Amino acid sequence: MSKSIMVTGASKGIGLATVREFYRTDNDVTDFILVARDSEEFDVALKELAANNPFGKRATAYRVDLADRDAVLDLSRHVMVAHGKVDILVNNAGYTAPMAIQQIAFADFERTIAVNLYAPFTIVQSLLHNGNAFQLIVNIASTAGITGRSGWLTYSASKAALISMSEVMKEELAIYGTRVVCISPGRCATDLRRTLAPDEDPATIMQPGHVAGVIAMLASDIGRFVDSQNIVVRM
Amino acid sequence: MFSLALLNGGVGARVAAGRPKQFIAVNGIPILVYSLVAADGVEAISQIVLNYPPGWREDVEKIVIDYAIRTPITFVEAGSTRHESVGRMLPLVRNDNVVIHESARPLVTAADFERIIRHEHPDVSYMLEIPFTVAPVDPGSRKVVGSLDRGTLRNVQLPQKFRTSTLVAAHEYAAREGVVFTEDATLCAVAGFDVRFIDGDDRNFKVTTRVDVQLAGYLLGNEAYDE
Repeated sequence: MSKSIMVTGASKGIGLATVREFYRTDNDVTDFILVARDSEEFDVALKELAANNPFGKRATAYRVDLADRDAVLDLSRHVMVAHGKVDILVNNAGYTAPMAIQQIAFADFERTIAVNLYAPFTIVQSLLHNGNAFQLIVNIASTAGITGRSGWLTYSASKAALISMSEVMKEELAIYGTRVVCISPGRCATDLRRTLAPDEDPATIMQPGHVAGVIAMLASDIGRFVDSQNIVVRM
Repeated sequence: MFSLALLNGGVGARVAAGRPKQFIAVNGIPILVYSLVAADGVEAISQIVLNYPPGWREDVEKIVIDYAIRTPITFVEAGSTRHESVGRMLPLVRNDNVVIHESARPLVTAADFERIIRHEHPDVSYMLEIPFTVAPVDPGSRKVVGSLDRGTLRNVQLPQKFRTSTLVAAHEYAAREGVVFTEDATLCAVAGFDVRFIDGDDRNFKVTTRVDVQLAGYLLGNEAYDE
């Protein structure tokens, strides 16, 4: 039976690379639910997908700011009506505004937690409330959630919480046979990384496509043999 | 199609402090949820008749909503005994066949329901061999009054299935005779029906003590890690 995949932060970086990975493969994932903030990058990404669609897959864009909880709840309702189910969910969207403790604006901390932690929670909870039974949930955390780094307090704290939340989801959703996977990429050439490390040459570090390849492996039949814990993905 | 009569009305004084036992969490999830989710995955079950301890209907309904159980549910207040509870559920059963289960057995699986539903005989219970010796006694005088052959005894488990007409007739028989039973397989047998048993699984035990809660949580948690 054909499967649906929902990816947040689908306009660029690891999210878009993951979409491309599943979209351009002859597999049973045919319905793509792409979530990102409204942006030119999103428009470009959608055009690129439409222009090169070798397996006739369906892609639907939802322009949502995941910090807006009401919008996320609306999104889940719309998705269930329009698509009927979400088999694979990739909670990828991330936000950061790295600052030293004394300089952190509380509103930025709140936005970081809203996008990186509350949004994946709300998407999962509201889809469950709408009767969805996931096959696989992939939460994209970060090595910054394992080891805190100077200047990254809000981001590190949000990703540490996401790693813990994934462990709880894994146990509780086992009653539906849902697999919950948490991966923690290290340095990866994304816009978010550029915000965290502006002086780094992106060409020298891991690329989003590499992480997408790992996600594709985790979604495959052999994924279950390596998914028992938070998985670090880095060069 | 089958209706599931899910017994959820007992007030287990041995387990839960201040709350009916069906609200205790096993591995972090309300114990009732396990049976609901297992039954929800069974095609042949098209109705769940679910009872609740007096005063706890809203709490039970909230669990059903939170966990988005798709099978239509009919709610009914529990009776003062299990026998009475089943008697209250029967008039609400809409199908010709009924499966009886209890929420205090959270390790039941969809496969357990499917296996008993598929069994060729219409009136069947899961039962277990008894691995220890049971003695008949006179509790008053503390006198041992004989011996029992455990080879001819079984530990009665759930789920069970019955033709609805069988169960209704058996409960009418019990009312006529003024007798009360603690479960329905022996009731139906005593009432004259041909009830069979199939071998159950000792994992599907009834959670009645605090140690049982820990054991069930351990088994369910380990299964999660085994996924």
